[in-house]
Amino acid sequence: MNKPFSSIPLNKGALSGLRVIDFSWIVAGPTNTRILGDFGAEVIKIENEASLDYCRGFVGPDADGSPNKSPLHSTLNRNKKSITLNVMHPQGMEYLKELISISDVIVENFSSRVLEKWGLGYEEQKKIKPDIIYCSMSGFGHSGRDRDFVTWGPTAQAISGLTYMSGLPGEESAGWGFSYMDHTGGFYGALAILMALKHRNKTGQGQHLDLSQVEAGIGLTGTPVLDYTVNGRPFRRSDMPPGNRSPERGFAPHNSYQCKGEDRWCVISVTDENEWELLVQAMDTPKWSNNKKFDSMENRLVNQVELDKLINLWTLNFSPREIMKFLQEKGVPCGAIQTPPERVDEDEQLIHRGFISSIPHSELGSIKVESIPMKMSETPWDLRLSAPLLGEHSAEVYLDLLGIPGEQLGTMYEEGIA
Amino acid sequence: MTMALDGIKVLELCGERGQLMGKLMGDMGATVIKIEPIGGVKERNIGPFKDDIPNKNRSLYFWANNTSKQSVELDITSSEGSNILKNLSKNVDIILEDMKPGYLTTLGLDYTELSKENPALIMTSLTAFGQDGPYRDYKSTDIVALAMGGQMHSCGYDDLPGSPPIRPWGDHGNYIASHYALLGTLSALIYRDLSGKGQYIDASAHEACSSTTEAALPTYLYSPHGVVSRQTGRHHAVTPTSKTLCKTVDGKYLIVFRIFMDLSSWISLVKWMDSYGMAEDLGDQKFKDMAARRTAGSEDADYAMEVLRKFITTQTAEDVYRKAQQLRFPWGIVRSPEENLNDPHFSEDRGMFAEIAHPELGKDVLIKYVGRPYNFKGTPWNATRPPLSGEHTEAILENELNYSSDQLNSLVSKNIIGSA
Repeated sequence: MNKPFSSIPLNKGALSGLRVIDFSWIVAGPTNTRILGDFGAEVIKIENEASLDYCRGFVGPDADGSPNKSPLHSTLNRNKKSITLNVMHPQGMEYLKELISISDVIVENFSSRVLEKWGLGYEEQKKIKPDIIYCSMSGFGHSGRDRDFVTWGPTAQAISGLTYMSGLPGEESAGWGFSYMDHTGGFYGALAILMALKHRNKTGQGQHLDLSQVEAGIGLTGTPVLDYTVNGRPFRRSDMPPGNRSPERGFAPHNSYQCKGEDRWCVISVTDENEWELLVQAMDTPKWSNNKKFDSMENRLVNQVELDKLINLWTLNFSPREIMKFLQEKGVPCGAIQTPPERVDEDEQLIHRGFISSIPHSELGSIKVESIPMKMSETPWDLRLSAPLLGEHSAEVYLDLLGIPGEQLGTMYEEGIA
Repeated sequence: MTMALDGIKVLELCGERGQLMGKLMGDMGATVIKIEPIGGVKERNIGPFKDDIPNKNRSLYFWANNTSKQSVELDITSSEGSNILKNLSKNVDIILEDMKPGYLTTLGLDYTELSKENPALIMTSLTAFGQDGPYRDYKSTDIVALAMGGQMHSCGYDDLPGSPPIRPWGDHGNYIASHYALLGTLSALIYRDLSGKGQYIDASAHEACSSTTEAALPTYLYSPHGVVSRQTGRHHAVTPTSKTLCKTVDGKYLIVFRIFMDLSSWISLVKWMDSYGMAEDLGDQKFKDMAARRTAGSEDADYAMEVLRKFITTQTAEDVYRKAQQLRFPWGIVRSPEENLNDPHFSEDRGMFAEIAHPELGKDVLIKYVGRPYNFKGTPWNATRPPLSGEHTEAILENELNYSSDQLNSLVSKNIIGSA
């Protein structure tokens, strides 16, 4: 059974015609709905001036209090619409329910009891729209003794084990320098919605998808958990995490190396004897490279501290991108540890693939965003909407979609309904 | 109960970059047939191994990333092997592959060829840099992906002089790539339900990583001086922020942040510290004002953080974590992954870990794995143990393509197929 979506397909995207009610904010939830919007869904962000998306406030000093000038918000919320709606006002709640009745998916990343408190838990949603797919994205999920605990990205990374797994042995954790679990939590939310849609297309049934940001993180720790449950070996031990080395694969050299310039680095990762030979040739076959200590992967692994120092003496003469191009031309896996300016301005591959796109924006002039990381032959990505101004689509949604008479809209703003 | 992806058939020709896609689909009900070279994929050689005995069927790394699949050992470089793959592909919904760009074309196994007899086929090629462009043939590994994609620029230390940027350990470059490529694949599957059309997806790990660095690109794109730097255990930033890692009396760490989040949480925190005589002057009005205003990044805020840090040094990590969460502080304990096995919220209440039968190791052997990454309330998650290399070769060739046992024996003797 092919069940049509709630709305009429208006773009070339794979999900064109899918309507999503988006209560999400900050990074994790908006990452989820960004993916849905990028694939063509009509994502309607429900906002309220009294509790603005924090991300709208991540602005420079020249924003003059505008909620529409945040760079991070702009990249996370392109291809979405925004309406203002006050769910605490009974009339606002009525309009919201009307909107739900003509939608396919609801996404929120509040703490675990918020929608229940609004009287909008899954059972209520189902009464309004029987095949609704409800994706909740809380820190610890909607059940269990710690369901009221709260997370930000770094919290979920810490508890799941990801922070501990990143660092130099014997030092404090380096962790993640950004909210990796906001990104990844968003990926899992969107993966779950797409799988649930596939199921709904077949059976006509919606469902509640109860996401936990910490659990999505735990999901990425499969190997160390098995090492413990099978071999009894904890990851918390003196030689782990291994910094930038690769004991589990037994590769050497495999590390970061210093380059010319202040705090500049590249990585080299030799995976077989052939690549080692190519690296040696690229370095002009220095005398030390013939030493027995380095004549096999096993020996290089045993002597990798000394090996890394010797390679470092060579890499210091070049910039990271010089090393990368030189070694890659010879066939050695190598990469520059690229800075943001390098990724935007110098990375010929990203430029060739059109990775950064832009679209006009009435307050920022234009917004510049990362495109989706793939080319799709039938449903190409399109930057069709700029990040929405706060409430930019209120009139469109209230008048065209809900059929509210135009003269009523003014009253709705005055009475704090919209 | 019906599983979400029941009835979906997938051929997987993936190594470390793409293997997670097949696992995630298989765990939700898809039939996933992993095509392996004779002798098995390279990932079967990656440690750790069960009982530390290296063997292609004992790699715990392989286990973690390959549940719910069947395995066929097939030499697709031979013309007979490539024909078998072509025949298998006629009857599948999706092909997932992560080989070098253009490699399958040289074997006559590219999308143009395979979709001739299966126009509704969805095929996803997940490569390091994409199918075209100047870096298309660059070699990559997980650390290369995380270096070029920008993760490493943002991760590491600001208080260890001379220390390098750090690659967060654990295959995350591969995971980011798989997550995005699977998202595209699933969207194509939804599109096919309505349009009847298949399609080809050219996914790039480098682009996937490059779009997964939170504020790093937006900060620079709007300001030429907006270049973030790495800081120990916390967010990258243009200007330094206060340290969030706090050591506890049992030698563990917590991440502690947003201490001036709201007034009532702050008052409770100070009261708690005071009950140990360790609140110093944090009861002063100026700190209450800061909590009410959510102040951060001032000298007074740094001072309060240091008083709090001294207090936390006297407590156990688990105590601070639970007490702080009860006061609504989003602080987290820095756990090693195995420590979640003992957290009753995940292990008992949420059933986050799954016992999976391994009959090849003994009749009643159950092994505890990390379980479902999401909790679908209407359809189950159910993983089966990863396949032995070539375990399903014969069954699949018999059932799908009606090979006789004589034909199978002949293929084995020619080394075109292999079985467990």
